[in-house]
Amino acid sequence: MAQSLSHPLLRRLAAVPPAYYVFALLLLTLWLARPNMLNPNVLGIFIRQVVPLGILVLGQLLVMRVRSIDLSAGGVILLINYIITSRTFPEASGMMFVLMALAIGGAVGLFNGLMVAKRRVSAVIVTLAVSIILVGFVQYLSSGKPPGDVPKYMNDIFNISLGVAPLPVLFWLLCTAIMWLVMQQSVYGRFVEAVGDNPEAAAFSGVPVERTVVIAHVLAGLIAAVAALVQTGSIAVGSVRVGLDLPILAVAATILGGVVFGRGEGGVWGPFFGVLSFALLFVVMTVFGAGDPGKLIAQGLIILMAAILYGWRSKLG
Amino acid sequence: MIALLRSGFQTRRSRRGLWGVPLVIVLALVAVLSFGTEQFATRENLFNLVSQAMPLLIAAIGQLFVILVGGLDLSIGSVISFSTAILSLDGPAVVLIPAVFVFAAVVGGINGVVITRMNVHPIIATLAMQYILLGITRILRPVSGGTVPDIVIAAVQGSFLGLPLAVVWGGLAIGLAAKILYGSRFGLHLFGIGGGVAAGMEDAARNYGIRVERNIVLAYMACAMFAALAGVFLAGRIVSGDPNVGLLFELDAITAVAIGGTQLSGGIGSLHGTVLGALIMAMLANGMNLANISPFVQTAIKGGLLLAIVGLQSRKKMGL
Repeated sequence: MAQSLSHPLLRRLAAVPPAYYVFALLLLTLWLARPNMLNPNVLGIFIRQVVPLGILVLGQLLVMRVRSIDLSAGGVILLINYIITSRTFPEASGMMFVLMALAIGGAVGLFNGLMVAKRRVSAVIVTLAVSIILVGFVQYLSSGKPPGDVPKYMNDIFNISLGVAPLPVLFWLLCTAIMWLVMQQSVYGRFVEAVGDNPEAAAFSGVPVERTVVIAHVLAGLIAAVAALVQTGSIAVGSVRVGLDLPILAVAATILGGVVFGRGEGGVWGPFFGVLSFALLFVVMTVFGAGDPGKLIAQGLIILMAAILYGWRSKLG
Repeated sequence: MIALLRSGFQTRRSRRGLWGVPLVIVLALVAVLSFGTEQFATRENLFNLVSQAMPLLIAAIGQLFVILVGGLDLSIGSVISFSTAILSLDGPAVVLIPAVFVFAAVVGGINGVVITRMNVHPIIATLAMQYILLGITRILRPVSGGTVPDIVIAAVQGSFLGLPLAVVWGGLAIGLAAKILYGSRFGLHLFGIGGGVAAGMEDAARNYGIRVERNIVLAYMACAMFAALAGVFLAGRIVSGDPNVGLLFELDAITAVAIGGTQLSGGIGSLHGTVLGALIMAMLANGMNLANISPFVQTAIKGGLLLAIVGLQSRKKMGL
């Protein structure tokens, strides 16, 4: 293994995030099995469905780049979805909902960040516990029943299409591009890279490590709120189960895209293709008739395989 | 006795962690519940409590092994569901019961090998395993149903000389764990490995000649097998297989271990603390049930408890 990897070309190929290979492989499978599905209209609809996941991944890759993780998005999405669909605030306009969502996301992110960076609590435990608390709270408020309808204007915005490109997909592209610019051009992006590569070295070089991690969590919370709004627009009726599997899918897509705890070869576009891979994976699995259990197994295997790949590579040096 | 109590409250030097505090909480809870509610201090309720506490107690003991080496196992909830699903298949008990433990050992072994040999973070490895196993469980048993072998039901629900057999299960599990942790070289090595990890010296145990990788793999196998035992017990209680019965069990187990004074960074902790922690969790659940608190709120309260307990533990490392 160690010797076969020493060839420069193989090394170069192994450095490409697995997401690109998986995406190409799935595209090929789909082309062989169902060539008629490979037209822009059909694919546009499938890709539109993973936009909330795609947006969520932007936050996840940020926190995973600084060696943390955020699993609280499930609770955040559920709470925002509940607030919008339950008519708790009958007078609220769309703008009010957006502000409320951002406030919730930002507050949860700030709490996560302070616990992780200042209290040094395990990020998995903090964010999972926050998610459980929020989910329990929402299910208590709604007594486990679906709360109500999504305002029609949200569905309308979600369904707009510019030519063949659905508006949510364009929005996702825009968000990803902004994130890419932030990571490439801003001082904060450099801080994130420094903390991810080596927190101690970053601290000695004067990088505000704790602040960088807190801000990463706040941004992840805000991004989760945006994802929640898009997710709410994508469904007609509110639900007490919506978005619960999104955080773990986001982790899977991020790892697949080449961003693993402190390692960031995949940048922003690697995870982007990770999400596209998942979109295709669900199409392929539906085509081949695999149900929900199959999807769970595929998710787990993808996380495991991608993590093993990276673990192996870092062991080889 | 006084020396023992004092060691329970000493934080900095004790390898056993802060187990005196949970002991006080247990006593306080018993006092509050017996005087506050009429139903608590009755024979049926206490037996019921023991039987309720048992799966969590067994699973928490398993979780303790991996937490001691500075790891974490998020897959045990799925292992529990998986075990009940296997037990509810059509087949003779002599095949099904060993099969449960063989599968658990394999799952734990895979966890351990992936973590130690392939450099995957324990949380990621076991999270992935949680999903894979959940998928397999849902294929085996999409919705709850089937029947569990009679011998399992009899062993869980029966009683001997007026004492519920659940107490015997607890005694055996605690005895076995005590032998492993305090009466074997393996147990001592677990403390050694975890102590090094917590101090930021991953190689310390290896430099003293401990086979770190092998011991960690064994710890994950032990954890999964204790979880399987908890699954067998639960299957005997609900009499059928249920793909969702183990949901969030891993978090309850982690909470129980952490309340018992065991440090999640590894190396510091105790079996008696974990037993006390599991008792606290069970009494809280029992008390909240008696007080008619909505199950959704109960979940939220347990999440808050986990957050509070873990927030009180300090460690050096930041992030995961």
